[in-house]
Amino acid sequence: MKITKGHFIIGLLLLAALAAYPFFSGVVYTNLFVRFLIFALFGASLNLLLSYTGLLNFGHAMFFGVGGYATALLLEHMPNAGLLTALFVGASAGALLALIVSPMLVRVRDTAFALMTLALNQLLFIACLKLRGITYGEDGVGGFSIPPLNLFGLVSVDITHPYNFFYFSLCIVGLGLFLMWYTTRTPFGSIMIGIRDNPNRVNYLGFNLPFSKTVIFTISGFFAGSAGALFALFQNLVSPDAVMHIQNSFTAIIMVFVGGIGTFIGPIVGAAIMTGLENLAVRYTEKIFLFNGLLLIMVVMFFRGGFVGLYNLAKAKWGSK
Amino acid sequence: MVSSKKIRYCLSVAMFISLFLLAGIVPAAMSANASFNIDKMSDMSDFDPNAVQQPTGDTIKIGYMAILSGPGASNGELFWPVINWVAHDINKRGGIVVDGKKKLIQIIKGDTQSKPAAAKQEAERLILEEKVHMFWGTSGSHIAKVLSDVAAKYKVPFMNCLALSDELMNEKNFNRYTFQTISNTTQWNMALAQYYADRPEKNFYILCQDYLYGHSMGTAFAKWLAVYKPDAKIVGEDYHELFLKDFAPFLTKIMAARPDVLYTADWSPDGNNLLRTARNMGFSQPIANIYITDTDTQKALGVEATKNLVVCYPFIIGDNPQTPAQKKLMTEWHKRWLTWKAPFNKLIYSWPDVTIGQTLADTYWMFDIIERAASTDAEKIISVWEGDEYEGLTGMHKMRAEDHQAIFPMFVGATGYPTKEVYPGAPYADGFSGINKVTTIPAEKCTPPIPEGLKDRLKNK
Amino acid sequence: MKIPPSDRGTIMEGTAFILLTQGIHGISYGLVLFLAASGLSMIFGLMDILNLSHAYLFMLAAYFAFSIAQVTNFWVALLLAPLAIACIGMLLERYLIKPVHPFGHTPELVLTLGIGMVLLEVVKSIWGTTMLTVMPPESLQGFIPIGYLKYPVYRIFIIVFTIIILCGLHQLFRRTRFGTIVRAATVNSDMVSALGINVPRIYTLFFGFGTWLAGLAGVVVAPLLSVHPGLADQVGLDAFVVVVLGGLGSLWGAFVASILIGLLNTYGIQLIPTVAPLITFSLMVLVLTVKPTGLFGDRQ
Repeated sequence: MKITKGHFIIGLLLLAALAAYPFFSGVVYTNLFVRFLIFALFGASLNLLLSYTGLLNFGHAMFFGVGGYATALLLEHMPNAGLLTALFVGASAGALLALIVSPMLVRVRDTAFALMTLALNQLLFIACLKLRGITYGEDGVGGFSIPPLNLFGLVSVDITHPYNFFYFSLCIVGLGLFLMWYTTRTPFGSIMIGIRDNPNRVNYLGFNLPFSKTVIFTISGFFAGSAGALFALFQNLVSPDAVMHIQNSFTAIIMVFVGGIGTFIGPIVGAAIMTGLENLAVRYTEKIFLFNGLLLIMVVMFFRGGFVGLYNLAKAKWGSK
Repeated sequence: MVSSKKIRYCLSVAMFISLFLLAGIVPAAMSANASFNIDKMSDMSDFDPNAVQQPTGDTIKIGYMAILSGPGASNGELFWPVINWVAHDINKRGGIVVDGKKKLIQIIKGDTQSKPAAAKQEAERLILEEKVHMFWGTSGSHIAKVLSDVAAKYKVPFMNCLALSDELMNEKNFNRYTFQTISNTTQWNMALAQYYADRPEKNFYILCQDYLYGHSMGTAFAKWLAVYKPDAKIVGEDYHELFLKDFAPFLTKIMAARPDVLYTADWSPDGNNLLRTARNMGFSQPIANIYITDTDTQKALGVEATKNLVVCYPFIIGDNPQTPAQKKLMTEWHKRWLTWKAPFNKLIYSWPDVTIGQTLADTYWMFDIIERAASTDAEKIISVWEGDEYEGLTGMHKMRAEDHQAIFPMFVGATGYPTKEVYPGAPYADGFSGINKVTTIPAEKCTPPIPEGLKDRLKNK
Repeated sequence: MKIPPSDRGTIMEGTAFILLTQGIHGISYGLVLFLAASGLSMIFGLMDILNLSHAYLFMLAAYFAFSIAQVTNFWVALLLAPLAIACIGMLLERYLIKPVHPFGHTPELVLTLGIGMVLLEVVKSIWGTTMLTVMPPESLQGFIPIGYLKYPVYRIFIIVFTIIILCGLHQLFRRTRFGTIVRAATVNSDMVSALGINVPRIYTLFFGFGTWLAGLAGVVVAPLLSVHPGLADQVGLDAFVVVVLGGLGSLWGAFVASILIGLLNTYGIQLIPTVAPLITFSLMVLVLTVKPTGLFGDRQ
C-alpha cells in the first residue's frame, strides 16, 4: 500500500482528534479510553501467538499479571525508581516469565498447549494469593507512589492526572503496537506464520522450532508485561483478581476473536468494541457474561473473521461499485 | 424618663424572647443524644424490593457498592432490600433537609464484581458521572480498601458496614472519609474469646480460608483466646483453599484432633459446605462462626445439623432483651416479607437478623448523620459523625473520633431447637435450629485499642 | 499424631485409621471427578473436541437435581436430570459445535467457552445466585463406623455407583454395536462412514452420551456441595486437569488421573496442608513437561 497525501492528512486529523479527546470526553471517558489502550496492547500481544503462530494461550494473563506485579512491587519498595524504569521492569518481567515457561510450552501444541498455559496461569494465581508476604494476598499491591514522567531532565509531568496519563499511555501503546507490527513484517514474522501453517516445514528449513517459539513467547510476554505494567500505573493497584485471573486471558481471547483473528488490527478493534460494550453493559444489565458469551458464539458461528472480516466483506461488496 | 411600665414591657418581651430561644435550644441540645426513633417510621405497607422507584433529579445520591454480577452476585441482592427499606421510609417522610432544601434519597447501584480494579473504576464512575454524595458498602476487605482510597481521593464519605479487616482503619490506611460501622476483626474475636472464657470448652480447632482475611481471623482468635482463656488449647490450625471442593479430608483431620469447638470464619459457599460435611460425617461439636447464617441452607439441613452453631455478630436476636423499637421494626419487616416475591421471598430475608439487621441499623444511623449534618458536604458529615453517640437498634453505637471505628456491644448466639418464639405468632425458625441463647458482650469489653499512630490524630489540630 | 487415650488398644493404631479414612475420601472424590471428566475425555477421544462448556453442563445438572428433588425425590432427579442434560448436549452439538468443527480446534474452544458463559448466565437468571441445598436421600444418610471415626454412607454410595457406571461403560464399548462403531470411528471415521454408517449422527448421540455422564456427576455432587453458580469453576477445572493429565481421549488415563488427584488432594491436606492447593496444577505442569501427551495419551 502506497502512502498518499490523503492518508497523511487523515493520519494528522486522527492524531489531532486523539490529542483533543480528553477535553471533550471528561475524566470518565478518558479513563475508559486508557483501559481500551491497555487492552489493545494486551490483546495484540496475545494475537502474536494466536493469529501469527496459531497457539491458543489460555494463560496470557500470567504475563500481564507478572508485569503488573513487577512494576507495582518495584515502586512499592523503591519509590525513587523512574517511571520508564518501572515500565521497563514490568515488561521485562513478562518476557522473563515467558522465557522460564518456554521449555515447558514449546513441546506441546493445540489443546494441550491451551490447557498447559491454563495450569501455569492458575498456579501463579494461587501463588499470588498464598505469598502474602510479598504480594499482600488478595488485597494486592496498591497505593505505591507513581513517579512523574521525566523528559530528559527538562520537564517533569505528573501522570497521575487522568489527561496526562492518557497521553502517556497513548505514546507507550502506540510504540508497542508499532514494534509488534514491525516484528510481523520482518523475516522473523514469516517464520511465525510458518509455525502456524506448517511447523514441520519451519523445522526442515533449518529454523530451530523450539528456539523460534521461545523467541515469540518472549516477545509476546514482553508486550503483555508492558500492558500489565501500564495497568498497574493506571490503577495504582494490582491484585490477583484484577491482573492474574484467568478471566483476563479469556477477555483478551474474546477481543481477538471479536475484532478479527488473523489480522494485526483485529485485537485493537476487538478491544474497542469490548471496552465499549462492557461500559454499556455495566450500566444497563448485570449479565455481562451473557453478552460476551453470545457475542463469542455469534462470531465463531457466523463471522469468523470478526468485525474486521465483516468490514472487508462489506468493502468488497459495496466498495467496488 | 422611662416609665416602669415600659421597663416591665421590655422585660416581658425579653423574657418572651429568651423563652423562645430556650425552647429552640433545649430540643437542639437533646437531639445530641441521637437515637433510632421508631415512631417516625413511615407506613411501609407499599414497600416491595422488587419494584423500587428511585427518585431522580436533585436528590441525595447514595452509591450502593456491592457485587452485582458474577458468581458472588447474591451479595448485591442481599442488601438491596435493606438500603431501599431505609430510603423508602425516609422518602415517605418527605426526605431530609440538606443545604436548606428538602431532598429525597436516590440509591445508585455500583458493581464491584468483587474485583479491586473493577470496584475502583465503578466507584470513580459513580462519583464523576452519577455525582454520588456517599458510598455504602461493601463486602471484601480488599474491595473496601479500594473504595476507601477512592473516597479519600474525591472526598466522598464512605460508610463501611460490611468489611471486617483491622487493617482498613490502621495508621497506614486510615483516611478521614471512611467510617467503619461494622465490628473489626479484633472486636469480633475479643467478643468470641470472652464468651468462651466463661465456658467449659477448652480445645479449639481453627479452620479458615487460605487468604488474608482467613489468616487474620484465625490469628486474632488464637491471640485473644490466649488473653482471656489462658488454659485453652489450640489443637489444630488449618487454612483451606477458597471454594474448597471436598471438606471431608479436613474434617477427618479435625475429628482426629478431638476439639471441643471448631472455629471458622468461612463465608459461603465454603461455610455452608463445611457445616454440611461436618454434620454428615458425624461431627456434632459446636462450630463457632460468623457467616454460616444462611437460613435457607439451615432449613434444608434440618434440626439436628443446625444445632450447636455459635454465631458472633454485632446484631443477633434471640432471648436477649430487645427494645420496643427493635421489636416493632422486626415485626413490620417480617409482615412485609410475607408479601415479597422471588428472589426476596427466601427465608434469609424473613427476619432482619445478623447481617441484614446490622446493615439496616447502620443505614438508619448513616441517614441520621446526614440529617443532623443538614448537608451532604463531606466536612459537615465528618464533623457530626466523629465522636457521635447514637442509640441504635441494639444499644449505644459510638463512632470513635480517632480511627472512625464504631464501638458497640457484640452478641454471641447459640442455636437450639425449638427456637424460643421471639415474636409471638411468627415462628423465628421453623424446621431448623435457630439462634435462641444470646450472650451480650458489652461495648467496653470489646473495645479494640486505638492504633498507635492515630491516638493523637485530633490533638495535633 | 496423638491418639486419644480412650482408643488406645483398638485393633489398629489411630494414625492408620486416619490415613485409611483419608484414602477412602480421596477415592470417593476422585471417582466423582472421574464421572465429571469421563464424558469430556471420551468426547475428545472420538470427536477431537475439548468441550469447555462441559463443566457448565455439569453445574446445570446439579441445578436440575435441585429442582427435580424439590418436587419429587433424589432418585427421580438422578434419572431425569442427566437425560435432560444429554438432550441439551445433543442440541448444542447438532446446531453449534458441528458447523464449527471443520475450522479447527481454536474456534471450537472459543465457541464452547462462549456456550459456557451463556449457560452460567442462564443458570443465574433461573435459580438466582444464592446457595441451594440438595440433601442425600433418607436411605443414604447416616454413617458407618471405621474405628472411632465414622464414614458417611453417601460417599460409599458414590464409590459403588461410579464403579457400576465404569463397568457399564466397559460393557457398552466392548459388547454393543454402538460401542463397536464408536471404537471404529475413533480410529478411522472415514472408513466407518464408507461402510454406510451415519457418522455425524453417531457423533451427536455420542456427544449426548458424554454430557449424560456430566449430568450424572452433577446430580451425584449436589448432595456433597452447595449448588451455586461457582460450582462449574470449582469442580470443572479439576476435571480438565484430570483429562489432560490422564492423556486426552484416554478413558483409562482419566480414571487413573482422577484417583491420583483425589488421593494427592486428601493426603496433601492431611500431611502438607499449606501447599495442598498447588498440588493439582503442579502435577499437571510436571507431567505435561515430561510427557506432552499426558500419562496414557498418544496425541496432543
